[in-house]
Amino acid sequence: MATLLFERLNTQAKLAVFAVQERAVLAWNAIRFMFVRPFYAADVMEQMDSIGVGSLFIVVLTGFFTGMVLALQSKASLAQFGETAIIGRLVTASMIRELGPVLAGLMVAGRVGSGIAAEIGSMRVTEQIDALNTLGTDPIKKLVTPRLIALLVMMPVLTIVNDAVGVIGGNLISTVFVRVPSSVYWRGVWDQIAIDGFTWRYLPNDFIQGLAKPFVFGGIIAITACYHGLNTTGGTEGVGQSTTRTVVVASVSILVVDYFMTQLFIGALNLQ
Amino acid sequence: MKDDDEPSAAEQAFAGRVRRAIRDELAADKALMLKTPTAPAPRVPRQTPTGMTCSVRRSSTPVNASPVIALERVSLAFEQPVLEDVSLEIYSGETMVIVGESGTGKSTILKLILRLLTPDTGRVLIKGRDIVTLSFDEAMLVRQQMGMVFQGAALFDSMSVFENVAYPLREHTSMTDDEIEARVRQKLEYVDLHPDHVMNLLPSELSGGMKKRVGIARGLANNPEIMLYDEPTSGLDPLTTGTITRLIMKLQRELGVTSVVVSHDIRSANRMGSYIAVVAEERIVFCGTPEEMAASEDRYIQDFLGGL
Ligand SMILES: Nc1ncnc2c1ncn2[C@@H]1O[C@H](COP(=O)(O)OP(=O)(O)OP(=O)(O)O)[C@@H](O)[C@H]1O
Ligand SMILES: [Mg+2]
Repeated sequence: MATLLFERLNTQAKLAVFAVQERAVLAWNAIRFMFVRPFYAADVMEQMDSIGVGSLFIVVLTGFFTGMVLALQSKASLAQFGETAIIGRLVTASMIRELGPVLAGLMVAGRVGSGIAAEIGSMRVTEQIDALNTLGTDPIKKLVTPRLIALLVMMPVLTIVNDAVGVIGGNLISTVFVRVPSSVYWRGVWDQIAIDGFTWRYLPNDFIQGLAKPFVFGGIIAITACYHGLNTTGGTEGVGQSTTRTVVVASVSILVVDYFMTQLFIGALNLQ
Repeated sequence: MKDDDEPSAAEQAFAGRVRRAIRDELAADKALMLKTPTAPAPRVPRQTPTGMTCSVRRSSTPVNASPVIALERVSLAFEQPVLEDVSLEIYSGETMVIVGESGTGKSTILKLILRLLTPDTGRVLIKGRDIVTLSFDEAMLVRQQMGMVFQGAALFDSMSVFENVAYPLREHTSMTDDEIEARVRQKLEYVDLHPDHVMNLLPSELSGGMKKRVGIARGLANNPEIMLYDEPTSGLDPLTTGTITRLIMKLQRELGVTSVVVSHDIRSANRMGSYIAVVAEERIVFCGTPEEMAASEDRYIQDFLGGL
């Protein structure tokens, strides 16, 4: 029984390594095709529209409520030390560094990732992927690359929107419930984003962190969704499994990668 | 230099073997855990001896002609063996109809010919060229000489009928928009569809038989020398089946294309095929003309003829 268990673990480990490797190959090919003719510009635009514009509403909604709840939670802690005046800084830092990228990432993984997996998965089970291949188009180039480009571009944009709406939501709660004047709140916001001065030659660390994360998350979502979509087997039921797997794997990956990226930034950039 | 970033055929084959090895291991593992009984003993008589080549050629075919499509001792396994030691030869202008029970690997044979799959062992030759060792880009060029009609038509959902049929032309030719439109109209008319009625419809707005015909039109768009049909008549009423059978025969007659037709329908198989190959238990168990098939004493072949 023990050896059986060990064998099983061994197989699982091999499969896991294999899956990571296949994803890496998919990512590499998708990136390589960005620079090889023909370019499917129309597909890229279509994806940007459906991913970016389509996700705007949920991102605004989650950002707004997150900003509000951040302000509400901070109220109690800050009041203990009589420091409610820095609430603007706190909300801004939390949104830009962590909550903006992660929440936008999770929302997009749920909405866009599942959509991509379902679309590509059903193309797989109805042999449309084989048809693309037969008609002389590389499915990675036609399907994966446009979605990867769209997500790499749109995730940072959506995150900025999420951050901005969150800060506005925080402002609302700060003025109404914490009784911090708007001018003080916005002063705090400005202090945070321009913490070390703000010039074009020097980008604040928060910005680097706040934009690098969603860029990477966009890549994770695109590759995970396309990988599961392309590897769908077992008819329509398989499509359902692929979408579920995509959302689970992409969400977990985002949270894990977020931790390591944060550690990297704190170490490398000496963020406080 | 461009070959550097292409995974070579050897690498691809190796990756395939690794994948299968891991799957096998997992399957064996599962079998051990669940104590699945081993597969039942084969119930199909092996009429053709292992390694025999099912060859489609007429007495009029020149002796030194080489086959347009050839499979040489091809074996392929997924979780389980699908094809073992299968050999086929189809000469220019001939038609082979492949029949067999569901899940015996008929579609797989077509996918091997298109190099959508590569065999574990054996060779696949198109006009004498081994396509298994080709790079991805070279394989694309070979595929352009072939038209494939998929089992479920596999039309692109997001594109109109016009865009579907025009797709191979846009991808591979430098035809102008006017030329493309003329060609699309011609192909749609060829499959008895009225271009003005269907061109702007989406695949979801077509009936099953119309989808199949649009699929054939798309396969024909590039004027291929080889046509592959995966169950072109399955799930259709007898009248539409007759129409599509006649359409395929018209293509053979008028354009002289070399064809492989996978079919469940023994009656249309008899009408279409110069040769019929029966696939069962991973092998080709019968290979011959429709008359030879009808005269066969073999129980399995008779059951197959009677059961349909
Ligand atoms: N990509 C794949 N991965 C794993 N197994 C596969 C794959 N493609 C086919 N198979 C298996 O190979 C066998 C043959 O499949 P194939 O589609 O060639 O059958 P078929 O003869 O065309 O059947 P049908 O008449 O139902 O279309 C089946 O058992 C199928 O489960
Ligand atoms: Mg089939």
